[in-house]
Amino acid sequence: MRRGAALLAVILGVLTLAGTAATAPAPRLVVYSALPDLETSLIHREFTRRTGIQVDALVVPAAGTLQARIRTEKDRPRADVFVGGSRDFHIPLAREGLLLPYRSPVAAQAKINPAYLDPDGYWHGWYLGALAIIVNTERFERELAPRGVRKPATWDDLIRPEFRGHFVMPSPVTTGGGYIFVAAQIFRLGEERAWAYLRALNANASQYTPTAPGTITLLERGEAIVGMMWAHEAIGARVLRAAPLEVTVPPDTGYEVGAVSIVKGGPNPEGAKAYVDFLMTRVPQDINARYGFRYPVRADVPVPMGATPFEQLKFVAYDLDWAIQNQARVRERWTREIGR
Amino acid sequence: MAVLRWQEVRRQAADPGLLLMLLGTAVALGAFVLYPALRVLTYPTLRDYLGIPHSLRWLQAARNSLIMMVLSTATATGVGLIFAFAVTREDMPGRRLFRTLALLPLFAPPFMVAFAYILLFGRQGLITRGLLGLDVNIFGWPGLWLVQTVAFFPLAMLIIAGVLESIAPSLEQAARNLGADEWAALRSVTLALARPGVAGAMLVVAISVLADFGNAVLIAGGFPLLATEAWFRMEGMGDLTGAAVVVAMLLVPTTALFFLERYWVSRRLYVTVTGRGTRLDRPPLPAPLRAALVAVCALVSLLVVLVYLGVVAGAFTAVWGRDWSLTFDHWHLAWERAGTLLTSLKIGALAGAITAVVGVVAAFLTSRAVPLRRALDFLAVLPGAMPGVFVGVGFVLAFNRTPLGGTPWLVALALAFWHLPMGYQAAAARLRQIERAIEEAAMNLGAGGVRVLLDVYVPLLLRGLVEAFAVSFIRAVTNVSIVVFLVAPGTMVATFVILGLIQSNTWGAAAALTTMLLAVTFAAVGLTGLAVGRALRGQPVG
Repeated sequence: MRRGAALLAVILGVLTLAGTAATAPAPRLVVYSALPDLETSLIHREFTRRTGIQVDALVVPAAGTLQARIRTEKDRPRADVFVGGSRDFHIPLAREGLLLPYRSPVAAQAKINPAYLDPDGYWHGWYLGALAIIVNTERFERELAPRGVRKPATWDDLIRPEFRGHFVMPSPVTTGGGYIFVAAQIFRLGEERAWAYLRALNANASQYTPTAPGTITLLERGEAIVGMMWAHEAIGARVLRAAPLEVTVPPDTGYEVGAVSIVKGGPNPEGAKAYVDFLMTRVPQDINARYGFRYPVRADVPVPMGATPFEQLKFVAYDLDWAIQNQARVRERWTREIGR
Repeated sequence: MAVLRWQEVRRQAADPGLLLMLLGTAVALGAFVLYPALRVLTYPTLRDYLGIPHSLRWLQAARNSLIMMVLSTATATGVGLIFAFAVTREDMPGRRLFRTLALLPLFAPPFMVAFAYILLFGRQGLITRGLLGLDVNIFGWPGLWLVQTVAFFPLAMLIIAGVLESIAPSLEQAARNLGADEWAALRSVTLALARPGVAGAMLVVAISVLADFGNAVLIAGGFPLLATEAWFRMEGMGDLTGAAVVVAMLLVPTTALFFLERYWVSRRLYVTVTGRGTRLDRPPLPAPLRAALVAVCALVSLLVVLVYLGVVAGAFTAVWGRDWSLTFDHWHLAWERAGTLLTSLKIGALAGAITAVVGVVAAFLTSRAVPLRRALDFLAVLPGAMPGVFVGVGFVLAFNRTPLGGTPWLVALALAFWHLPMGYQAAAARLRQIERAIEEAAMNLGAGGVRVLLDVYVPLLLRGLVEAFAVSFIRAVTNVSIVVFLVAPGTMVATFVILGLIQSNTWGAAAALTTMLLAVTFAAVGLTGLAVGRALRGQPVG
């Protein structure tokens, strides 16, 4: 007779148990990370070890995606910290009033170049990177070299017809690298000529990957022969996994100042400040240089293995203000004109 | 009869327990099915909708989605038909094995076939490069076509096999006795009668292909599709309006197909065959046909088995494509993320419990003459017409700013109500088989509506309840299309993390974590020990 009621009780029990067990306890720190999973978890493990603060991370190696999420959640912010991704993706959030200003005492102590820090304290730069041309040498030597094709050395080489269907790069809509590349072309060629260039490049493109490491995946596995990507991602694949990749940083390249910022109204602002302080110390910058091959901003952290010193690279005159003010418009034009 | 009905209505009105149940179910369905759907449709303005014809990219995505639907539906249904035919013949060697193998893709996360095929058939593929020395580009529409055929033919097989099984062997025997040869009997009886099953299977597969997110996001490359475009709009540009417009576009064909299936195929054409027939064996197949069937089934089964082998191999291989040495490093990385597996389990259990309870209560209510009966029935089957990405965007728009936002409850509720048609339809079918006299006896003894449900129906529906729980649980644990919109840092589920690992070039760890997820899913299947396969038929995938 009572079996029915008993069963219902059991189901309700499961419901409440699962419900209570699934809700997160304690004040933890919520981090949105645009860095790859490996670097993020190594850095967070070290952060928890030092501060005792547990971290919940949302790892999507695409700064545009996380920027979009923070905007979508602005009425009820979920994240405390936005880490990784170029400052190009933090500054618009600051202008929209979505970030909390903070000046880390650790940054002042470490005498970090003020060019890498926001004077208003909305973001702290903690690593650097440069865009490069990547070639999968294995496939290049097998398929293109016998036909007398030269390896691309400049941005203009990338639109040569022999690379048709062989080119990949991260999407300018979802990733920082892709956007900075498009902006760099605009600074190099002027707006209209840049779009003509991008359309010609599109004729060669086989894919635009939604995350930055996705491009490396395709190049490393020979799904594409040439690509545009952060130099550090390719160097990492070469050093860590012996990937057959050649990295060329062409003249007029774009660069990033990888940033960290505190989301205004997040659940744990004190933890967030501790996190920013932590990123200004040596250990996380060293982890990022060692496993992510990104240049540290601290002078006392060694430059990543296999990388040309940052000062020796030739950068385009990158107009940061213009790039940020026109970010939405350029991304919109990209989806309209290139449509991929 | 009419008098009895009226009495029943009056009695129920005087039954506060039943009334409360009715109210609760109506509110739940209104809040978690109707409201999110309306929210998506009304979020964009008319101008946004009118802008669709001007967006080249969206038109392209719509066209691509339709092309993919036609191609994949044709092949998946074709393979499903061959399989269903083969496994329902008694003299087919290995039929049980083939049937079991064919069901395997239904228990895997929706991106798994694509992932395994990149590992096996890509440029660095174990088979294409390693064994055959070929250089193949699997990205783009041909790869997606292959992947979706393998991913969705099991659905077609289940549906068609169900119809073929219900055809009395005596019909085929009779045709033979009337002088038809083997081929003519097959053609004019069995295949002719299977036609409604094939039509139904085509519609269900077409919905699944249109809505598929997991495979598309991995392998479609530069081939925009509606299901992935919604995610790209929202996660890439923070453009909620654009995402809503795209999923609304996707809803049009899926709803149309869904109602076609439900009202045209299920109701009318399935009843062409009545009666169970005697336990006659079907006439033996012509030998050449049998040989051909075995060959086709073996080939397709091999493609299915390779999916699982590919993923497991990926979990133990140092660097796929270059360094084939055995390693356990990936397991270390995957183990660190095993917590997300636990989150998946909790959310799956929660979703399964909600689906089972709401499904049974709703079926119980609609089986009697309560007010709102038709509306409840409609709302309980409606989610079957919705693509996962539509539900995902709907829940974001409806609940993201409420206290539900970012909690495990949001994810669980979205999954539970998306799977509701499974629990509801299974319970409703079982209810129809229960003699009303039992209930009347209980009521004559003074039992109220709630008491009748708990003491009479729940024990009789127990099996169905557990089945609904299990199916909803498996689907929730392997879901991608909804969770990709709803996960938050505290509610990271395994499928989302795996997708991230694949996209950040950590394939070994992704394969290891997928293997762990599969182990969990199969453990759940084993524990329930039920014919879950049957209940999986015709349900939303993606």
